[in-house]
Amino acid sequence: MRKRKMHNAVTRRDFIKGAALGTLAIALSGRERDLVAGTGAEPAVRPFAAQNPQSVVVLVRSEKAVGVDDKIDAAAVQDLIDTAVKELAGEADIVKAWAKFVRPEDTVGVKFTRCSWMRVHTEQPVIDAIVKRVGEAGVAGGKIIAQDEGLPVAKCTALINVPTVKVHTLTGIAVALKNYINFSSKPSSYHAPSTNLGEIYLKPEVKGKTRLIIVDVLRPYFGPGPQINPLHRWNYGGIMVGTDPVAIDTTCLKLCQVKRRLFKGEDWPISPPADNITAADKTFNLGTSDPAKIKLVKLGWDKDVLI
Amino acid sequence: MIATALCLGFLSLAALMSPAVPPEQTPAPSDFALGKALPQEISGWQKSRDDQVFNREDIFDYLDGAGELYLAFDFQFVFVREYARAEAPAIVVEIYQMSSSADAYGIFTQDSDGQEVRVGQEALYGAGLLRFWKDDVFIRIMADRETPEARNVIMKLGATIDAAISGAGPKPGLLGRLPVEGLEPPTVRFFHTVISLNSFYFMSNANILNLSPETQVAMARYDKDSARGTLILVEYPSEEKAYSACGRFIEMYLLQRFAPGKKFPPVELENKKYAGAVRAGRFLAIAVEADDKATAEDLLKRALANL
Repeated sequence: MRKRKMHNAVTRRDFIKGAALGTLAIALSGRERDLVAGTGAEPAVRPFAAQNPQSVVVLVRSEKAVGVDDKIDAAAVQDLIDTAVKELAGEADIVKAWAKFVRPEDTVGVKFTRCSWMRVHTEQPVIDAIVKRVGEAGVAGGKIIAQDEGLPVAKCTALINVPTVKVHTLTGIAVALKNYINFSSKPSSYHAPSTNLGEIYLKPEVKGKTRLIIVDVLRPYFGPGPQINPLHRWNYGGIMVGTDPVAIDTTCLKLCQVKRRLFKGEDWPISPPADNITAADKTFNLGTSDPAKIKLVKLGWDKDVLI
Repeated sequence: MIATALCLGFLSLAALMSPAVPPEQTPAPSDFALGKALPQEISGWQKSRDDQVFNREDIFDYLDGAGELYLAFDFQFVFVREYARAEAPAIVVEIYQMSSSADAYGIFTQDSDGQEVRVGQEALYGAGLLRFWKDDVFIRIMADRETPEARNVIMKLGATIDAAISGAGPKPGLLGRLPVEGLEPPTVRFFHTVISLNSFYFMSNANILNLSPETQVAMARYDKDSARGTLILVEYPSEEKAYSACGRFIEMYLLQRFAPGKKFPPVELENKKYAGAVRAGRFLAIAVEADDKATAEDLLKRALANL
């Protein structure tokens, strides 16, 4: 067997070895501390607590957001989104905050997820709250297109990525990067391996348009799939906001990994590892997958926040 | 490196796309015997839309984003029936017709969480989802959310389908070659391809073990005297293929230079766990995640004794 062949495969061993592949090692072990702790020569850096962050992710939670029978409280959701967007924008006024992300002349695509069989949809109150605020930012109703499949992305000048959080048997995890998969004409080509998922962000009709990512973390899914097992879904009551899809996915990956370990009482690696996250960072330069370069701002309900 | 891994991935996906049965043999929903056994109404839940059937060619129309996992088995078609009742959760019945009981069992082992219940040959229930297999059929019955009434209906529907399947089918014969002592039953998996392997235990983006629809794979975790390890047992269609896969694993994963006739003791990997392999005829036994060298050696020795 030729020696060169050994270098063609990306193996579990590569992930375990490389601190540069930190996100993947989180998925395999859940222990990002090993990856960012100081080696002795430099001080340890706590994950998701960067002092000079490359990316900021805001997480806001409310115990009122998901009620009896998993009913979503629209007012609570609106409040979560408003709080998160204001925090990210550094504005106390909600209209001024949204004005940092959309302009009246924009045509705004609100890309949510509505996968009928998987059932981990973007909740309608989340979509409604975003559409409302985009309208209040001056964008005419006819220029706000909230859609999943078939969103006319080429027509849009701005995109708001509104995914849910689900562990996925083919891509490791499905959040901000995966939510754009149906901007491709051949989505299944981004499955197993999913390494090139990030390239969708660089398609000419998509590149540079994503102004904001608002993640529905109200009821994430941490199970193996391929189809949902309700035992693997929990009420988290959160909204996560950022502009860096890689940092968002890295944070959600950590959240799901922690939840999986709690559920099983032992390490339960996400498999396959979400190598698309590291590739989105290292190959496609879409953001950072290094937890030490991410600042996670947590507001609101802090019970069982997990990250 | 990534590009090469992708090519290997596409090849393995392409290999999965060949249909098990001609699509014209897929029954119309009204002709499917198990579908006919289902009631139009049960405890106030009414059939709420036309039944649907999806085969290997159009499975992605139903399971967009996860069809690959069924195509990795000898899946023939799925029958879908939906029930609705005012002020109550919707209930969906999915009946997956496989070409063998081994593959019905294999799909069932994709997810082992839930409480054992007595339906079919093996069944698990939790939070509004019943999953079971019987003969060459795998069944999922799920409510949008769990209520006592919905649970009763789900169990009744399960019993109806169970009664309509006259015979039982054997589990994969390969399971009989797994060593018994220390085996953790909920961790037993059966599958064929690298997509399934990587969803349970990520080994590599490349198909190191040359898995294909023709290979049979049994996998299980062991805990013997508080020492843990995982055994992956592969049956190839020929001795040559097993020999080749053994060489690839030794070189690409254990990073040892393979030589015919040479023995390869388990090696310590970067995570301080041990991995090793042994081949006998058409069979390849691989130990991974073993706590120590002795555990890996013991697993391989006991596996070899059964081959």
